[in-house]
Amino acid sequence: MRSKVGNIVVIALFIIILGVCFYYIFIDGIQNSIKLGLDLRGGTQIILKPVEIGTEEVTDEAIDKAQLIILNRIDSLGISEPLVTRDFNRNIIVQLPGIDDPERAIDLIGKTAQLEFRIVESVDENGNPVLGPTLMTGDKLSKAQAGYNPNGQIIVSMVFTEEGSQQFEKVTSENVGKQLAIVLDGEVRSAPRINQAISGDAVIEGIDTLDEAKDIALVLQTGALPVNLEIQESQTIGPTLGQDSLRQSMLAGVIGISLIAILMVCLYRGLGLISVIGLIFYIIIFWGILAGLKTPITLPGIAGLVLTIGVAVDANVLIFARIKEEMLKGKSKYAAFNEGFRNALKAIIDSNITTLITAAALYRFGTGPVRGFAVTLAIGIFISLLTAVILVRAILFLIINTRIVTPGFIGVKVQKIQKDLKVLKEK
Amino acid sequence: MAIKGWLAKKDNTSGQELKEVLSERPYKYNFMKQSKWVSIASIIFIIVGIIMTLTRGFNFGIDFLGGNLMEVKFDRAVEINEIRNIMEESGLGKSILQNTKPDQYIIRTTPLSDEQKNNILETFDKKIGISKPLIQDRVVAASFSKTITRNALIAVAISFAGVLIYVWIRFTARFALVAIVELLHDLLIILSFYAITYREFNTNTTAVILTILGYSLNDGIVIFDRIREELRINKRDKYIDLTNYSINKTFVRSLITGTTTLFPIIIILFIGNEILKDFAFGLLLGIISGSYSSIYIGPPILVAWNNRFPRYKK
Repeated sequence: MRSKVGNIVVIALFIIILGVCFYYIFIDGIQNSIKLGLDLRGGTQIILKPVEIGTEEVTDEAIDKAQLIILNRIDSLGISEPLVTRDFNRNIIVQLPGIDDPERAIDLIGKTAQLEFRIVESVDENGNPVLGPTLMTGDKLSKAQAGYNPNGQIIVSMVFTEEGSQQFEKVTSENVGKQLAIVLDGEVRSAPRINQAISGDAVIEGIDTLDEAKDIALVLQTGALPVNLEIQESQTIGPTLGQDSLRQSMLAGVIGISLIAILMVCLYRGLGLISVIGLIFYIIIFWGILAGLKTPITLPGIAGLVLTIGVAVDANVLIFARIKEEMLKGKSKYAAFNEGFRNALKAIIDSNITTLITAAALYRFGTGPVRGFAVTLAIGIFISLLTAVILVRAILFLIINTRIVTPGFIGVKVQKIQKDLKVLKEK
Repeated sequence: MAIKGWLAKKDNTSGQELKEVLSERPYKYNFMKQSKWVSIASIIFIIVGIIMTLTRGFNFGIDFLGGNLMEVKFDRAVEINEIRNIMEESGLGKSILQNTKPDQYIIRTTPLSDEQKNNILETFDKKIGISKPLIQDRVVAASFSKTITRNALIAVAISFAGVLIYVWIRFTARFALVAIVELLHDLLIILSFYAITYREFNTNTTAVILTILGYSLNDGIVIFDRIREELRINKRDKYIDLTNYSINKTFVRSLITGTTTLFPIIIILFIGNEILKDFAFGLLLGIISGSYSSIYIGPPILVAWNNRFPRYKK
């Protein structure tokens, strides 16, 4: 891109990109431009490990189905913007932003809700019922509702589907006179005696509170999970902690950027100033991408961001050091700029790709918010290559032939060049 | 080939004398000479770290041990003893307490049942008064650490393999293996530091360590790049001089980039809360370790390797 037109085109492109970024930053108001992860806005994250029920293997389909059921349960709780994902260990990760009663949600999500109808065959010496095989399960329910029976006891009444109704009638007609146990997640809820064949609906009794009844109705309604879920980790973060972290890292970022700008201008004068322009572009484009992609940013993500700010000027430092070196060898400014960029490019690419390799490994095999770190690191590397190499290069080559670009502009003293050349010649 | 190219350039009048003089590659600091002491210091540090790991182990957080963590904001400033007493009454005297603000505490316990947890919170509320929702509330199953550890190890293995292959392709097998040695060194230094200082080791720590593995090689690659370039254009100087020269030439850049990267991190160490500080601390450590291993650990191995099995001028 040696021609003047070429450089102007590059700069124009960057200004267009900047415009697009500003659009995304301001479209929903600058306050809401970046979507915050759970650890910053507050909320609950639960990591659940699917475990097989009995001998059934945990298949991908089973986990898919479990995810869907969990989502339905959360929806019926009225929680907005829930996120149910799966990591590479096949753990299910549930994220619930800003909820009031995390314990109830955790309880609801983890309930397998395996409803079984079994005949009580006998009673053992401790008075516990000995149950026969499962005759029917809860998958043929069309409706479940919490309420009271005529005696004022709390119940959950269940209505079967047509098929379920027929099956229930068959089961009850074959077992008249026996006790039918209604078992929920391995616990016998009630065991009424069958007086006659029943069709249509069934009732769960022995519930303490109406809230509990509502929860049972809800999980029955959304269906049984095809797997058992073990809670591996649950984490609830109040809204204040995240705001603290966010404010502090923003402040650190702003101060850090200012210090970097001062250092770059002190060291490289005019060149430094151009790299600061590159840095400003870097930050706005980064911001725009986060706003546009709507990727939630987590605390580790912010740490990654802060790290990349320092790294963003690294490419410029490499290039400028090379330009200075070439100038001191007595090269013309055009040759020095050209050589400087060319010599530094290999190091820039190689060092950034090694970082990208690790970021990729971290993203693929990371757990939870750690992946946020990898994402920001990778985005940062891409943008810094664009701004620190391509943009800065275009600006430099555009002004290279003007009178602004003197050795002093580059931060090299004319006397030093002459002195060095003299020393070299004498040798 | 390269000598031929160099000779050909001699006819080019413009830079003739310059080329000749420059190819003597004068340098200011003899990094290779200092490297012996630095590497001995590194090795001692790592050995102490290993001994501490074997005898005392790491101060693992609840991510690794399993358990409950609550950060509670009380209605007034409280002394740590007051909380300790309440915990002891509930039979949880061994819990770890840490105040983040005068009226705010992190309480770490072994895994609690819902009932136990609610009991403690109710007692706190009755005796001191707490505000809800809690600032943090975490539960981790003891078995979860296996998953985290396995993930971290896989990530380390994959990134090592990736770096090895990439550096091998772009440079040579020697550079690739030395890059891995540098990475291992940084990894061991960070782990030793956590073992010796007994700082809490949690999932964020693993994230930081993995990031450092990506970043710390930056300096190393820049120096490798310079050595690679010198090896191509300079066949006259000895490998050790050439290496010293390359480090001298890239040193200012390493210093400046190190400084710019550390600026925001050091500020976070001053103004950040506990979680942020944890991150910043690990990054600080990794950046420093990465910077010096790229000068004092990697290049000397390259030189020693070339002395033993010369491929370039000894």
